[in-house]
This record gives sequence, structure tokens and C-alpha cells, in this order.
Amino acid sequence: MFRVAIAGAGGMAHMHASCYTANPNACVVGVYDKRPEAAAEMAAANGATAYASFAEMLDAARPDVVDVCVPTPWHVDYVVAAAEAGLKGIVVEKPMGRSVADCERMAAACAASGTPLFVAHVLRFFPEFAEAKRQVDAGAVGNVVTVRTRRGGSFPRAWENWYGKPDWSGGVILDLVIHDLDWLRWTFGDVERVFAKGISPKLPPDSEVTSDYALITLKFKSGLIGHVEATWADPGGFKVGFEIAGDAGLLESNFNQPAGVPFMAALQRGAEAGAAVAVPESPTAVNPYYAELDHFLTCLATGATPSITPRDGCEAVRIALAAFESAQTGEPVVLP
Amino acid sequence: MTVKIGILSVAHMHAYSYASAVNALPETELVGIADHDQARAESAAKAFATRAFGSYEELLAADIDAVIVGSENVRHRPLTEMAAAAGKHILCEKPLATSVADGRAMLAACKSAGVRLMTAFPCRFSPAMVRLKSAVDNGDIGKVVALRGTNRGRCPFDWFTQLDQSGGGAVIDHTVHVTDLMRWLLKAEVTEVYAEISNRMFQKEFDDTGFLTLVFDNGVFATLDSSWSRPKSFPTWGDVTLSVVGENGVVTLDMFSQNLVLYSDKTGGVSWAPWGSNIDELMVAAFAKAVASGAALPITGEDGLAAAAVSFAAYASAKAGKPVAPEVVL
Repeated sequence: MFRVAIAGAGGMAHMHASCYTANPNACVVGVYDKRPEAAAEMAAANGATAYASFAEMLDAARPDVVDVCVPTPWHVDYVVAAAEAGLKGIVVEKPMGRSVADCERMAAACAASGTPLFVAHVLRFFPEFAEAKRQVDAGAVGNVVTVRTRRGGSFPRAWENWYGKPDWSGGVILDLVIHDLDWLRWTFGDVERVFAKGISPKLPPDSEVTSDYALITLKFKSGLIGHVEATWADPGGFKVGFEIAGDAGLLESNFNQPAGVPFMAALQRGAEAGAAVAVPESPTAVNPYYAELDHFLTCLATGATPSITPRDGCEAVRIALAAFESAQTGEPVVLP
Repeated sequence: MTVKIGILSVAHMHAYSYASAVNALPETELVGIADHDQARAESAAKAFATRAFGSYEELLAADIDAVIVGSENVRHRPLTEMAAAAGKHILCEKPLATSVADGRAMLAACKSAGVRLMTAFPCRFSPAMVRLKSAVDNGDIGKVVALRGTNRGRCPFDWFTQLDQSGGGAVIDHTVHVTDLMRWLLKAEVTEVYAEISNRMFQKEFDDTGFLTLVFDNGVFATLDSSWSRPKSFPTWGDVTLSVVGENGVVTLDMFSQNLVLYSDKTGGVSWAPWGSNIDELMVAAFAKAVASGAALPITGEDGLAAAAVSFAAYASAKAGKPVAPEVVL
């Protein structure tokens, strides 16, 4: 039985907590959040104790695993502190960190203490994305020539509007399509060159937005070209899709409009629209969030290497920040 | 007044659709077809119950008001210049030209001859596109910030993949339609083009896939997938899509989504049976109406050259590995 302590009590922390509570091999023992009432509420829902500080939780809750679900810029502080606490494992929500340097610090701290670190790139556990990789690997569409993904919906509301502060969240490029960037790199290999346009990278530091949009073009080392659409500007509901074109076929998931509907409009109906982070639903027997956390716990129990490494988390951030930089400078960014 | 039309070359498959439109419309008459491939002219003339002329000169000397140029891309210039010299108005297949110099020469020839030149951009006549434009013009989504477009198809091969006939592969073939829609929608010109262009699909000397990023002079950015990336088993020829992101909402277009889905044991596959409006016919009707009335053309040769110049810039960007400014053509 893994004793899990969770840092953060926002939307993703709630999702992770419910997955641990449902898992016969885990239980939530501690919750810490800067907002005591949020920590208390989530602790109560999961039979855990709320703590007044992260240090106190590490000390008093005696966790085996710490799961870090605080806003991105603070991942590094919590992960490094947890790495020094001699745990069995650490989970960090995506994106791994706000900078490549932060990601490298986390990876180094965990390597130094021998603590397995799992970056929660849950998309790899979504059945349609996992199946798409299996199909590509099996050669279902032949050699892949173009790949396109799209993701997003209305603007997510959260504590302190932190998604709307590009300095904190990295906007749609870092926070949202890090999912696709990791899945693309997992499926198609490393990226050589990135070019992007977006709204938030062009704004002055300390800006706050209530809408964001970006279009990213990727050239992979294999020669494949890719396109990633990222939106927090679509009031028409959360949409996810991808299309993989090969020299022997085409694989697509939910990419086109319904047949017979050549025109669609999604209009903002007022300030109250988009009250929370929209999470897509397509019911399957296993919740992908449960599957990713169960995978990590199983690896910890058996000593196997988790399928997502700290380097994977770091490289996804590197691609996203290259896109952010390209959108700022107007020039393509070549990755090392 | 009946507008009498001749077709100069049916090398491009769209010319067959235009011929069919000319026959179908009550206000137009198909006087004949000429082609540098005489057998092709004769078989097309037979199919459309019209006369095959022995040469372009012979057709241009006949009693016609206007021509449709449906040749290989590199012949657009000489055929347009011949038609202009003969005093005929011209509807020219896209891309208007394979170089800015050729395009400018075509515009100049038409201007000095006092004839009018329209570029064949039928997508502007799509009722769904018209609806999208009216929503944007009406301010339904507020200020436009970004566009995402696609125009993909199956590779047409034939002369389309012979660079000395086509001037380029998928990127010259598929950039211009959606670029024109974007220019029309935004009333803005492209100031910067970045492109990743590849030949990974067929691994031949012609390009088959291209992802373009465009910046317009009003600050709007856009991407456009201009590729021959649909497999042979795709249920239709391809697509034209456009998503317009505004400050207050999003409108999207999937122009050729009005189809029945046909599962056929005769063809052994799935295909789409389109039931949407015939945009080629709407375009030919608009051309004929402008010719007959002397009113302004809905789409000009300048529009065609501006869109083509974006495709030329895409090739230059891919070669240079950085964004480039398209040549200013107007």
C-alpha cells in the first residue's frame, strides 16, 4: 500500500487524489495547499489529513510517494524538496517545469537521491492516442509524411487566473499542447526545428490574458513535418483531434466537423462563459489518469522503469519553450 | 445577352467542370475547345457536344466574347496574352502564373488590350464560405486574431508533377485557394511566409507536402496545410477547411463536408457522394454576368497573382530556412 501525499488541491490534484483513493494499492494520507480550506476539503473527500505546510506534511504524513500538482513555476521547489526526503517515488504534473533549467534541476535532484520521478503526461494513457502510436508503429499508414494535432476549447479559469499569466503557465503553448508535444515526440521521435505564432508570447511580461491561441510547425529529425493547434479561444467546447498522413494511408481521430455541417460558429455569450477547465470525456473502462498513476505505482512495486522518464518531461518542455521563443522572435528555433 | 465562351486547353481537370457549367448555364454558350493536344480537344469537344478547333488562333478568331484558360500552369501566360491580343475576356485557372514576372506580363497584356482577367477561385462562391465571411464581417467573433486553413488532396500526377509544366508541386497547386480566401476575408495582404516543405510522400523531385505560416499586414497570423497527403483510399478528392479565431469566438468552415457516405461493394470501399452546391457553376455564372454587364469582376488577375506570390515565397522560405516576404505584386 503506497501512502501518497499531494501538493496542491486544484483540479488536477482532485483527479489524481480520486485515482489513488480508487486504487487498491494506494491511499491518500496528506494534502497541502496554500489555501487551507481547499486542502481540508480535498483531504476530507479522500480520508486524508490536511497540512499547514509541505515540510510538515513530508514529516508527519510519512508518505511513500509525493504527487506535485501545484502551478507549474513551483514544481521545481516541491520536487527538489521531496527528492531530498528519501521517498519511494515522486509524481509531477505536466508540464514538468516552467524552464528547461528547472526540469534539469528536478531530474538531477531525483537522480542524486535515487528517487524515481514520473512526469504525468497522461495523454500516452488515453486509449485513442495509445492506439494511434500502435498503428503507426505497425506501419498502418506506411511512412508518415505529415501529422497534425489540435487541442483546446474555452479559456480555463483557476486560482489567481494562473493559466492566464504566461509567465506562470506558459499559455497554451506550454500548458496545453505539452500533451501533444510529448505524444508527438514519443510517437515520431525528436524534433529538429520549431516555428510558431501565438498570442501570449508577443505580450509584455506580467501580462494577463483571458484568451490564447497558437499555431506551431515542427520539423522532426526524421524529416516528418508536424502542425500543432492550441486554443483557449474557442467557446464551442473542448476539442481534441489528430490526423496522421502516410504514404499508404491516413489515420484520423475526431478531426473534422460533422458530416453535412460545412459551417459552425462558436461565440462567446458573456463574461460568465467558460467557468472552469473543460476536461473532455469519452467513457472507457479505465480512466487514463488512473492508468498513468497505477502504471507508476506498479513500476515502483516491481522495480520496472516507468514509461515516461524525467528526460521525456524535460524534452517536451524544451520543444514547447522553443515554440514560445519562436513566436516571440519571429524566427525558427533549432533544437540542440 | 448570351456570353459566348471558348476553352483554351483542357489540360487541367477543372476545365471539364467549367465546360459542364458553361453548357448548364442558360446565359452562356460553349463555342468550342482548342488544345495543343488535338486528340484531347476532340475528345473533350465530343463530351461537351461542342466543336474542336484546330488551333488556339482559330478559336480566338471565332465569334466568342471570352475564354477560359485551362492549360498546364506554364501555358497560362502565353494563352492569356494571345486571348488578350484577340480582345477576349479571360477566366484563367489557378495558379495564375508560375512566376511574378509572368503574372505581371499577363496583367499588363490584359490592361493594354482593354480586356478583363479573372482568376478561377471557385471557393469564394461556396455558400458556406459566404456565410462564414458574413459572420466575420458582421463582427460575430470580434476582431480576427488568427486563421488555420487546409487544402489537401490526392496527388494528381500527370503534368502536375512535371515541374517544367507546373512550376511546382503540392505547394503551388494548393496554396492559392485558401490564401485567396484569407486575403478576401481579411482584406489584407501577406507580408511574411514561413514554410516547411517536403517530398516525403513520393520521394520524387516534386514537393508533395507543405506547412505554411503566413503573417498579414493587419497582424493576423495563419497556417495553411498545402499538401497532396490524401491516400488513394481517401473517400473524396481532398478538402478545403478554414478556422477563423476571433476575440469573441471561432467560426469554422469544412467546405466539402456536404456528402452522403457510400459503402459500395462495387468499388470495395467507402466514398462520399457530394450534395453541396456546384461552386464551379456559381463562379462561371459570376464571370459571365460581369462580362455581359461590364460590371467589375468579383475576382481579379491581381488577386490570382497575389495568392501565387505567396506560394513562390513559400518555396523561397523553405530553401532559406527562415521567413521571407512575398514579392509585392500590385
